[in-house]
Amino acid sequence: MTNLNAVDPAAVAQDAHLESADVVIGKNTIIFRRFMRNKTAVAGLAIFLTLTVFSFVGGYFTQWDKQTIDPFNIGMPPSAEHYLGTSQAGIDLYAMTVEGTRISILIGLIVGLVSVLVAAVYGCTMAYFGGKVDKVMLFILEALIMMPALLVVAVATSGGGEGLRRDLPSWLLLIIVLLVFSWMGTARLIRSLSMSLMQRDFVKAAQYMGVPARRIVWRHLVPNIGSLLVLDITRGVTGAILAEVAFSFIGIGIKVPDVSLGVLIGGATSQVQTFPWMFWVPLTVMFLLTGSLAMMNDGLRDAFDPSSSSSGSAKKRTALKARVKGNAS
Amino acid sequence: MSSEIAAGPVEQPQPAVERLHVADLHAPADAILSVRDLNVRFNTENGVVHAVRGVDFDLMPGKTLGIVGESGSGKSVTSLAIMGLLPTTAEVSGSVRLKGKELLGLSDKAMCEYRGNELAMVFQDPLSSLTPVYTVGNQIIEALTIHNPTMSKQAKEARAVQLLAMVGIPSPKERLRAFPHEFSGGMRQRVMIAIAIANNPRVLIADEPTTALDVTIQAQVLEVLHTAQEETGAAVVMITHDLGVVAGMADDIMVMYAGRPVETGAVDDIYYNPRMPYTMGLLGAVPRVDVAEKSSLVPIEGMPPNLIHTPTGCSFAPRCPLASDACLEGEPALAPVAGPAAHRAACIKSGSLGGDVDVHDVFAAPPVPVSRFDAIPREERSTVLQLKDVRKHFPLNKGALLKRRIGTVKAVDGLSFDIREGECFSIVGESGSGKTTTLLEIMEFHKDQDGEVVIGGISNKQAADGKTRSAMRRELQMVFQDPTGALDPRFTVYEVLAEPLENAGMNKADTKKRIMELMKLVGLQPDHVNRFPNQFSGGQRQRIGIARALAVNPKLVVLDEPVSALDVSVQAGVINLLDKLRAELGLSYLLVAHDLSVVRHISNRVAVMYLGKIVEIGEVDRVFDNPRHPYTRALLSAIPVPDPHLERTRERIILQGDLPSPLGTPKGCNFATRCPVFAALPAAKQEKCLTLEPPLEHVAPSPAAQTLAADPLPALDQRFACFFPDGELDEDMLVVHESADHHAP
Repeated sequence: MTNLNAVDPAAVAQDAHLESADVVIGKNTIIFRRFMRNKTAVAGLAIFLTLTVFSFVGGYFTQWDKQTIDPFNIGMPPSAEHYLGTSQAGIDLYAMTVEGTRISILIGLIVGLVSVLVAAVYGCTMAYFGGKVDKVMLFILEALIMMPALLVVAVATSGGGEGLRRDLPSWLLLIIVLLVFSWMGTARLIRSLSMSLMQRDFVKAAQYMGVPARRIVWRHLVPNIGSLLVLDITRGVTGAILAEVAFSFIGIGIKVPDVSLGVLIGGATSQVQTFPWMFWVPLTVMFLLTGSLAMMNDGLRDAFDPSSSSSGSAKKRTALKARVKGNAS
Repeated sequence: MSSEIAAGPVEQPQPAVERLHVADLHAPADAILSVRDLNVRFNTENGVVHAVRGVDFDLMPGKTLGIVGESGSGKSVTSLAIMGLLPTTAEVSGSVRLKGKELLGLSDKAMCEYRGNELAMVFQDPLSSLTPVYTVGNQIIEALTIHNPTMSKQAKEARAVQLLAMVGIPSPKERLRAFPHEFSGGMRQRVMIAIAIANNPRVLIADEPTTALDVTIQAQVLEVLHTAQEETGAAVVMITHDLGVVAGMADDIMVMYAGRPVETGAVDDIYYNPRMPYTMGLLGAVPRVDVAEKSSLVPIEGMPPNLIHTPTGCSFAPRCPLASDACLEGEPALAPVAGPAAHRAACIKSGSLGGDVDVHDVFAAPPVPVSRFDAIPREERSTVLQLKDVRKHFPLNKGALLKRRIGTVKAVDGLSFDIREGECFSIVGESGSGKTTTLLEIMEFHKDQDGEVVIGGISNKQAADGKTRSAMRRELQMVFQDPTGALDPRFTVYEVLAEPLENAGMNKADTKKRIMELMKLVGLQPDHVNRFPNQFSGGQRQRIGIARALAVNPKLVVLDEPVSALDVSVQAGVINLLDKLRAELGLSYLLVAHDLSVVRHISNRVAVMYLGKIVEIGEVDRVFDNPRHPYTRALLSAIPVPDPHLERTRERIILQGDLPSPLGTPKGCNFATRCPVFAALPAAKQEKCLTLEPPLEHVAPSPAAQTLAADPLPALDQRFACFFPDGELDEDMLVVHESADHHAP
C-alpha cells in the first residue's frame, strides 16, 4: 500500500475528477484486475518474465560461454564450477541453456508478434473490401496453408538457399520461414471477426463520412479485434517455440554453432542414460517456457471475455472488501 | 416499511379486513403474491450494486400490476428475483410469498415446482426464448409434461391445440408441428404466452412483452394477454417502460426509481394525479400521438444514481427541479398521500403536488423553438433532397447449386418525395416496410441505382468521381439508431468528432475549436472530450452521435430511429435538442421511426410506408388527425396512449396477421390481405382492390369548404393510395374494451 498520508494537490484534483466518473473503470483496468485475479496466470507471467530476464543476464553469472571448451571437465555432472554440468565436448551446459533460452524466446516473440500483426492487417483488409479482393487474397492464403511447411523449412535451412545461409544466422532464417507459415490460421479467424465488425454502425458511420478505406481498416477494425490479437500473440509465441524445438530436434532448424533449446534437446536424446542432465535441463526450461505461456493464456481469456464471471459473487466480495478496508486503515 | 397496493375498486366501501391490512405489516390473506422488503445485490467490478431496495407489493387474484420505470430501475431484477431466476452470485433477501408460501430461499429444484406451474413468465425477446430445434408443439407439451406427468399424450396434444387457438394462432392443429423460425416475432410471442398459461398459472409475469414488436403486432399481443388473463383468471405483473402500454391494462401501477418503488397506487391516481416529481416527469416526457398542439417535452436532466453508493437523501433529488435541502436528509419512505388510501408516494413534497400542477412549469421545459424557415411557405424554400421513383429489388433465389429465381423482394418500390429546407420529414411503417432500405439507398448514392436521388442539387447520376461524392457527404450526414454501436468504443469523444473534420481537411487548431463548439451545441460539457463513449449514458452518447453528424455543417441529417434505444426521460431531452438544432441551424431532417408519437411531435410532413410503397403522405397534422388510408388508421389506433380513460374506451383496429411474404403479395393493393376495409367490402369491389394498384391521390377539400370558397381550393398537402377510404371497417378487427371489467374511480 502506498503512503496515503501525503497530500498531493495534483492527486486530489485527479481524485475529484475521478469522483464524478466513478461509475466507469477503464477497460484496461478491468482487464488488468481480472488477469491479476487469476493466480495461475499471474504465476505463469512471473515464470515467463523470470526466464526472459534469466536468458539475458544469466550469462554474467558464469565465466564460461557457449563455445569455450573446458578440457578438464568433459561430460561432467553439475558441480560448483559448472552449475549444470558440461556436454561431452566439454562445453558449459549453463551457458548453453542461457543462450538457447534467449534464442527460443526471441524466435517465439518475434514470430508470435509479427505473424499476428500480418494476420490482422491481411484479415481486416480481406473483410473490408470483400468481393474480388477477398477471393484473391483468400486463394493466396489457402495456397500457403496447403504448402508443406516442413519441406520448405528443410530446404531453406539445409538443402538449398546457400546464399541465404551465408548471410543470415540460422535463427534469423528460421524466424523468416516460420513467419511465412504461421499467420494464415489467425488471418482467417480475423477475417470472419472483422466481417461481423463491418456490420457495426461505427464502420458504416465512417464510410458515410467518406473516410478512406485504409484509414477505416487501421483505425476502426484492427483496434477492435485487439483482445483477440493479444490472445493470439501468446498462442503464437508458444507455437513458434514449439515449432523451433521440433525443427531443431529433427535437425533442420537452428544449426550449430547457434544454440537453442531444440538443438540441446535433440543433441541429448541419444545420451539420456549417460548424461541425463544434458537432456532434462533444456527440457525443463522448455516446459517452463511453454507452460507459463499456456497458464497466462487462460488468464488472458478470462480477462478479455466480457461474460466471464471472474468478478465473483456479491456475498463473497463484500466480506473480502471489508477485510481489505480493515487492512488498509 | 410496508406498503401495499390494495387492488380493486377504491370507491367502494373498504371491507374491514382490508382496512386493517393497510395499517398492518402482514399481507392480506387473499393476496395471491405478496412481496415484502425485497432486496437484491449484485457484485460488479466497481463494487456491490444494490439493484433492488425494499420492494413491497401485494397482488390480488385476477388483477394487473404494472411496474414502470427506466432501464436500471430494478424492474426486471424484481421479476427475476420472484421467479428465482437470478444467478447464484446475486444476494436476495426479503420475502416473496405465493399463496402464503415463502419462495425465497427455496432450492432451484423446489422452485421448479412453481415455475411454469403457478408462476409463469413471458420474456421480452420472443426471437430467442424458443428453442429453434423443437417444434412449438413440442415446447408447449414439454411445459405440460413437466407439471402433469400423468396426463395422456392425446390430452396434452389437445390442450396444446386449445392453447394455440386461445392465443389466436390460425389453424392451430397444423401449426403445432411448425418450428419457431416459421413464425414471425408476434406469433412467437403468442406461443410464449401459450406456454406461460399452459398450466393455468396464478401469477403471470410479463417482462416488456411487446417492446421488441411492431405497434400493430403489439396491439395484437396485448389483446392476447388480455384474453389469456380472462381465461385463466391469473394475476398479471406487467413490467414495462412504456406508460402507454400499461395505461389500458393495469389496475395498479408501481413506479420504480433507483431500485425502489417511488409511487404506487391505482392506475387513475398515478396518471391523473401524480404526487412524485419523477412520475410527473415521466408522464410529461412522453410525446402524445393524439395531441396536435406543439409544446416541448419535459426532459428529466441527469442520470439515475449509481446504486453502488447508498443514497443518503432522496435518490431522485439530483434530478428533481423541486429538490431542497430537506430532500437530502434521509430517503423519504413511501407514505400515503391525501386522497385514495392506496395511493402512496415517496416524496416529502407530495402534499403540494397533484393533478393540477403543470408539469411543464415544474420541470422548466424549454420554449418551443421557432425556425426562420417556419414563416416561409413550403413551396418557396429550396429542395435539399429529392427522390424520383427510387426502387430497390432483391432477387429471391432457391436451390443450392442451380439458383432459380423464384421471386423478387420489392424492398423499395417506386418512391418519390422531396424535403425542403428547415423541414422534418418522417417515414413510418412496420419493420419490413422498407424504411431502412430507403435510407441506405440515399446514403449509398450510387450511379447505377434505379431511380434518381438528388442531394443539395447533386444527382446520383453524375456522382462518378470522388469529389462530387465527398461534396455530397458534406450535405448529408446520418445519426444511427443504437448510440453505443455507432461510436467506436476505442475512440475518445475528441477522436470521434475529429474524424469527419480531419477527413474534410480541417487543420488541428480549427478542429479543436470546432469540437468545443459542437460539444456546447449538443449540450455536453466541453471538458468531457477526453472520455470514452462507455463513460457516457445512452442519451449523452446519442448527443455525441448528433454532434458528429453536425461536424461538417450538413444541410440534411438522416435520423434512423434516433431515440428508440433511449429511455423515455432521456428521449425527451434528445427530441428537444433535435427540435432546437433544426430551428437554430436551419437543418432538415429525414427521420425514420416506428414510434408515431415521436414522429408527430417533431415532424412537419410524414410518409406512411407499407411493403416498399408510400400509402399515405402529407402534412403531419392532416395525416394524423384525418387518416384516409386504412393502414394509417390501423397504425394510429394501435398506438397506446398514456391516458387510462381514453385507453379503455378507445376503438382499436387490430390488424390480422403479419406482413405478407414477398411471394404472397397480391397484384393490386399490397395491403388487401390485412385490410379491415377490404374484409368488409362486397365481392365486386374486392375484385378492384385485388387487380388494380391504387395510385397516390390528393385528398379533396371537404365539400363544405369548397362551397364556401369562391375560387377552387388548392389541393391539400395529403395524398393517399386507396380506392375505398370511406369503406366500413370489418367488425372482427375492431376491439373496444368495455369499461365493465374496470372500475374507474
